[in-house]
Amino acid sequence: MALAHHGELYIPRDSPLHRWAVGPKLFSLLTWMFAVAIVRQLVLVPVALAIVALLYGLSQLPLSYLRRRLPYPGLFIVAMVAVLPLTSGDTILWQWDWLALRLEGLQAAALVLGRFLAILITGFILLGTAPFLDILKALRSWGMPPLLTDMALLTYRYLYDIAAQLATMQQAMGLRGYGYRRQTTRQRWRWLVALLGSLLLRSYGRSQRVYNAMRLRGYGQLSEPVPTRERRSDPVDPIATALTLTAAAALVIAEIWISHL
Amino acid sequence: MHIPDGVLPAQVCVAGYAVTGGVTWYVLRQIQRLPDPSAAVPKASLLAAAFFVGSSINIPVPPVSVHLVLNGLLGVLLGWYAWPAILIGLFLQAILIGHGGLTTLGVDGAMMGLPALVAHQVFQLWRRLPRSLPQPWSMGIAGFLAGAVGLGLAALIFFGLIIFTIPAEFDLSTERQALTLLVIAHIPLMLLEGTFTLLLVLFLLRVKPELLKGET
Repeated sequence: MALAHHGELYIPRDSPLHRWAVGPKLFSLLTWMFAVAIVRQLVLVPVALAIVALLYGLSQLPLSYLRRRLPYPGLFIVAMVAVLPLTSGDTILWQWDWLALRLEGLQAAALVLGRFLAILITGFILLGTAPFLDILKALRSWGMPPLLTDMALLTYRYLYDIAAQLATMQQAMGLRGYGYRRQTTRQRWRWLVALLGSLLLRSYGRSQRVYNAMRLRGYGQLSEPVPTRERRSDPVDPIATALTLTAAAALVIAEIWISHL
Repeated sequence: MHIPDGVLPAQVCVAGYAVTGGVTWYVLRQIQRLPDPSAAVPKASLLAAAFFVGSSINIPVPPVSVHLVLNGLLGVLLGWYAWPAILIGLFLQAILIGHGGLTTLGVDGAMMGLPALVAHQVFQLWRRLPRSLPQPWSMGIAGFLAGAVGLGLAALIFFGLIIFTIPAEFDLSTERQALTLLVIAHIPLMLLEGTFTLLLVLFLLRVKPELLKGET
C-alpha cells in the first residue's frame, strides 16, 4: 500500500490553481468530475483529457507527482477493463484462434479508462494545490457535521503513526521468525490475529489518552467560535470558477447533444 | 472492493451520494442520542485508522494471500460510529492511495457501510443465544456471522451495481455469467473473513472484553 505522506500530497507553488480559493476550487473541480462521469460518448473523452491536461499544466505540479501517484490506482482500473476488448461485442477487429479483439469492448474499455484518468488527475490537481486541512475547513464551512470533520482530522493525524507502529510490529514478528521459519497456515493465522488484535488494542489505549487530553482542553464544551483570518480574494477566483463550471456545463451539453444525434 | 472513478454512470454516483447522505443524517441522529456523543470520537477515529492500516495485512491462504475487508469487524466494535469511520476511511483511501474514488465515494460508502451496520446488529445476537452456551462460543458464532455478513452483503451490493449498470450494447448474458461466477468465488472469502473476525473477537474477549460490550 503506497500511502502518500502530507508532504507528497500538497505541492506548494505560486500557480493560478494554488491561488484559487479552496471553497470555489473544491466545488468547481467536483462539478467537473461529475460532468466527466456523465460522458458516454467516446469522442468527448479526448476533450475532457485535454482540459485536464491544461489544468495540470496551469497547476505547475511536476510530472513526477503524477508518475508517483498514478500507477497504484491505474493498475486496478487496467485489471478491471482489460478483459472487455476480449469478451464484449460482436465486431471482431482481429482474431487469432480463440483470441479475438472486439470493437465494442475496446471502445468501452477506452471510455472507462479515459473517464477514470480525467477524474483521477482532477483529484490529484485538487489535492496537489490545496492543503488537506484547508479542504476539510471548506467542507466544514459547507455544513459538514463537526463529528465527521473531527473524526477525519483525528484519523488523518494518527494514520501515519499507526502505520509506523504496524511496520515496527511486523519487523518484530519477522525477527521472531514469522515468514522465515517453517510454519503451518494455522500458526501463521494465530500470529496475524495477535498482530491485528494488538494493533487495535494499542490504538484503543491511545484513543483513551487522546480523549482525556482533549477533554482537558475543553473538547465537547460549548465554546466561542475561533475567529478565522479572512483571506483576501484573488482575481483568479471568479475567473477560474467561471471557466471550470462553463467547461463542465459544455461537456454535459455536448454529451446530451451527441447522444440525440 | 472499491469502485473506482469512471466506472459507474454519473446518475448512479449521485444516487450513491443521496443514499449515503440520508444514512449519515440518520446515523448522526442516533449518535446524538447517546449519553455523550463526543466520548467515542477518538476511539472511533483511531480504530478507523487501525482498520485502514490493518486491512493491508496479507493473510496467507495457500497458494495465495488475500487482504481482509474488515467492515464486519468495524461494525462489531464501533456500532453506529462504524458508518462515519468507514466514510472517512474511504475518503482517506481515495485521496492518499487512490483506491476507490471521489465521485464514487457515496456508492462505496453505502456498499461498505450498510453491511457494517447490519454486521453490528448480527453481532448483538450473541445476547440472544441460549445462556447455556459459554460466552466465547456465543460471541464467536455471532462474530463469525457478522464478519461473513459484512463481506457478503458488500459483495452482493458491488455485483448488483455492476450488473445493473452494464451498458446495453454489452453481451448481458455473458457478463452476468461472469459476475455470477465472481459472486460464487466470494463465498470462500466470506468464510475466511468470518473466521478471521471470530478469531479476533475471541482474542479481544480474552484481552479487552470491554471493547466488545461497548454501548456504541
